[in-house]
Amino acid sequence: MEDYKFLFKVVLVGNAGVGKTCLVRRFTQGLFPPGQGATIGVDFMIKTVEVDGEKVKLQIWDTAGQERFRSITQSYYRSAHALILVYDISCQPTFDCLPDWLREIEEYANNKVLRILVGNKTDREDREIPRHIGEDFAQRHGMYFLETSAKEAENVERLFMEIAVELMEQAKCKELPKYDGSLGPINGKTTSVGDSSCCLR
Amino acid sequence: MSFVKCCFEAGEGHDFLDSFVQKCTDPGCCCGCCSALRPHYKRLVDNIFPANPQDELVKSNMEKLTYYSLTSPEKLDRIGEYLFQKASRDIYRRRHGFVIIAMEAMDQLLVACHSQTLNLFVESFLKMVQKLLESTDPQLQILATQSFVRFANIEEDTPSYHRRYDFFVSKFSAMCHSNHADTVTRDKIRLAGIQGLQGVIRKTVSDDLVENIWEAQHMDKIVPSLLYNMQTAEKYETVSCMEGGSGAEPPARLAEACLRELVGRASFGHIRSVLRPVLTHFDRHELWIPNDFAVHTFMIIMFSIQAQYSYSVVEALMQHLDAAGSGGTDPRARTRVRAARATVLSNIVAIAAGDSVGPSVLEIINNLLTNLRSSVARDSEQKETDEKLYQEALINALKEFADHLPDFQKIDIMMFIVNKVPSIQRGNKGTKADAMLQSILLKSLLKVGTTYRTTELSKAFPAAFLEALLRAGAAGQARARALLQRILHTLLDRRGNAQRLQRASVDYAELGLTIEKCSRQDLIFISKHGYALFSSLYEGLQLESNTMENVEAIYTTLALICIELGSEETVCDILQLILAIQQSGLSNPVLSVAQQCQLQAVSISLAALLPHVMMLPRLAEYIHKIIVARREEAPHLLPPLREDYDDLHPSKMPNKLPYLMMDLMALCELLKAAGVEAARLSASSPYAAGSAAAPHRHSWVEAGAAAGRDSLAELAAPATELDSANSSPGLQRQAQYDDLDEEYRMFIEKYNHNHRPSKQDFGTYRSDTDFWYWDHDDVPAFRSKASSVYKQTQQSVYKRSLQTWYSMNILGRVQCHVSQRVMRLPAPLFLSLRHVQRDTTCDVTLKANFCVHVYRRSCTHVMTILGRECVKRCINVFKLGLLVTCIFVNSSTYVLQFIYRSPYCQVQR
Repeated sequence: MEDYKFLFKVVLVGNAGVGKTCLVRRFTQGLFPPGQGATIGVDFMIKTVEVDGEKVKLQIWDTAGQERFRSITQSYYRSAHALILVYDISCQPTFDCLPDWLREIEEYANNKVLRILVGNKTDREDREIPRHIGEDFAQRHGMYFLETSAKEAENVERLFMEIAVELMEQAKCKELPKYDGSLGPINGKTTSVGDSSCCLR
Repeated sequence: MSFVKCCFEAGEGHDFLDSFVQKCTDPGCCCGCCSALRPHYKRLVDNIFPANPQDELVKSNMEKLTYYSLTSPEKLDRIGEYLFQKASRDIYRRRHGFVIIAMEAMDQLLVACHSQTLNLFVESFLKMVQKLLESTDPQLQILATQSFVRFANIEEDTPSYHRRYDFFVSKFSAMCHSNHADTVTRDKIRLAGIQGLQGVIRKTVSDDLVENIWEAQHMDKIVPSLLYNMQTAEKYETVSCMEGGSGAEPPARLAEACLRELVGRASFGHIRSVLRPVLTHFDRHELWIPNDFAVHTFMIIMFSIQAQYSYSVVEALMQHLDAAGSGGTDPRARTRVRAARATVLSNIVAIAAGDSVGPSVLEIINNLLTNLRSSVARDSEQKETDEKLYQEALINALKEFADHLPDFQKIDIMMFIVNKVPSIQRGNKGTKADAMLQSILLKSLLKVGTTYRTTELSKAFPAAFLEALLRAGAAGQARARALLQRILHTLLDRRGNAQRLQRASVDYAELGLTIEKCSRQDLIFISKHGYALFSSLYEGLQLESNTMENVEAIYTTLALICIELGSEETVCDILQLILAIQQSGLSNPVLSVAQQCQLQAVSISLAALLPHVMMLPRLAEYIHKIIVARREEAPHLLPPLREDYDDLHPSKMPNKLPYLMMDLMALCELLKAAGVEAARLSASSPYAAGSAAAPHRHSWVEAGAAAGRDSLAELAAPATELDSANSSPGLQRQAQYDDLDEEYRMFIEKYNHNHRPSKQDFGTYRSDTDFWYWDHDDVPAFRSKASSVYKQTQQSVYKRSLQTWYSMNILGRVQCHVSQRVMRLPAPLFLSLRHVQRDTTCDVTLKANFCVHVYRRSCTHVMTILGRECVKRCINVFKLGLLVTCIFVNSSTYVLQFIYRSPYCQVQR
């Protein structure tokens, strides 16, 4: 239904093949697509969740990890409320690239953006990055940290819910960066839409 | 109602809700009981939905709704809102049939209603579109896009300032990158995405008050999305701008049309915001190599952009030439990318040329040259063939650009380039980079020159340009000099003869040359600049480092001059030059045997060309006789030129065959017979000593000066000592050599600094001075070292210095330097000029001629002196006047004025 109270934009970034699309699919559609191909450009999903009895709509922009799409993906950072930076716990290079990603986020995203570090693929046996390394890194850079498995649906729901909760808190404290359009007319009238929903018998 | 709402909010109990809603939409059932309670507009809206979602919109009821909203437009926004709610619910329940119907109804209302009342309705409409776009169903997304496009095509007279298109741009861009498993669906979604973007552009671009589509956050999405769809096309065929979105066309073509539209609407301030993402996209996707897509895209941009801004595309691309691509660190890859970018540039630059004016033209040229220079700097550090490609591409760009400029600008550009050519400092061997830059700039110049169509020589060669060209031609390596000659060819050759005159020949009849009569303007031009041109070419032939290429190139230049400027007025000058060349081929000791033979061949070829240009049958006969004789006895003195004449017997050396040479006297008579004023020819030529000595050729040849090379070289040694001693005793010797070219410097070092014992031996000197017919009084003094020269009496010093200069003139190649150096210290030479005049034993004309030659730059001074002296002594006033006149055509009036003013002269007259 259309009576959501808040609309948040969440952008997923990270190297190619770390499982960004799978995380989104798991969360929005509840499935794990085996053999998911590389994302081209940007993909878009929507999911409405409920926090404290209020509906929160999450616009999830799932970006391509490939280098060549970097210019278009960067343009999506700008209006994000939350950025999920994903790496693959079984692949050291994806972790090594994190500083580069942070630099890019620094450059293109709003500086108040909520940043979450996610180590994906905990179901894998061949872990290369211990949990505490990721935690350390996240702490050093002032990010939230979570390890997930899109395949096992582990922590995926929690990840997005926590984002929604955090963003809502920020929004209530008016700390949320305001973007033109994101909270604009479409969102601005949600309350009235909610009131007048259905028949006014 | 609260019950209903609660049920809806809970989002559970599908079965119940389904049945409820079904009932609700059925006018006969649920709404039968509650319709009385519902507002009229809701009832009308409900009635347009058929009972079965598979059915179509109920047309008659839709008409009622339309009529209602037209009659009471204040209700329109509520209708929209209600429709939106219904559709939201249907989307949630995945009953797409009803969603489609709701959308259709909205579309119809949108089209039917007057624009003034639409504003609030549009809010709901766009919410509806967004809702549809948010669904994962491709069908709904495409439907939403179609509605959006329909909306975008409506002209609203009151734009909504708070309406935002941020989401639409983001979503449509995402759709452009759709990777749906099914290719057909994928293409449909991509097409829809492009159509949507096109709609957003149309909606926003025309009005500055609504959302600024040109902001980076939008352009960074729109432009790459369009390009991404274009680059996947099989082949890049250009479509016409006018093609609309008919839906059936492939995404690539629509993307292209959309890009055209976008670029076409960009104003000056917005061009950069379009170009930046384009350039970034090409970097990211590594589309520069191969570059056909890049060329294609930039062509599109160039053709769609408003013409007056087209140069800014060129500018942007040029600034991007050096930018680091995504390739990053590998320098070779970078160079290749750079070369590819330059090729793109050369492809589009021509389009910009037509609309570029004023400073932007030179800015572009300057930018290209700067890039060339930095490329040369890189190139000299490391050897790279890719760098060469880059340079070639840049030069091509330069050419393409110049090609489309009007002719008068081409000359400006050539001037600009020629002034950028680094002058390889004489005496200090320019760095390798300098030499490369020089040759590259000359290549660019040549390219620009080929695009120029010469009509009038005076326009093709403004004085400053000609001077700069000739100056550039005097310095540099053999290759660079040959290049410069080729530039002259392209500028001189108006009738396409250059190709036929590449190789020296005496059989012109078969070449099929195009010859026309020389125009009046050209004659004025040649009478003004002829001397500078001729003497520069002459000096060019006297260089030791000349290869056959150089000689042939100069031959071609001269032949072209003959054809373009041959007339009765110029024939004397040309013949004079030919004779001078012939003479230098005999007497210039620095030239190798091969070079000497080549000069002979060149001179006879040129002489043979003259009768083809003008009616001079007797000259033709005379030349033919010589040619026949040479063919019999000395074929090496005839074209074609050869690289080496090693097998030449000593008795076949050119200077052993005086009877096979053209004779001045004979030529004079031939000209007179043909009715041409030949006085100037006989009045001895301004070119060095060689031609001056021509009448006496036999005597000196017989004196056996065959081995003149060494002795004359030595003779020049004290000359330089003298020269420098006279000119600037206080100055450091080394500093003076700055002006001299490399050859000359080596020459001097060889004979001055590394004194050889044999230097004192002037064994062959006498025979040379015999040849010069010079007074021998001072010969012993001459032999002494330069230091002792100071101690001589002033008169003899000057006399000797003059003599020495004169002798040095044999080395035609250095005469220019001598004159330049003398220029610094005019006083001694003035004195020596006087001396010349007093010395009645000398051939006054001859010497004066020389002095004038040396002094050609400060002609007015010379003429003042000459005039005064001559008038005073009433020697050959007219002869001298004539001579001076022929040399200084520019300022001849000055001399005449002088002579005429003098009282003595009046008597004489």
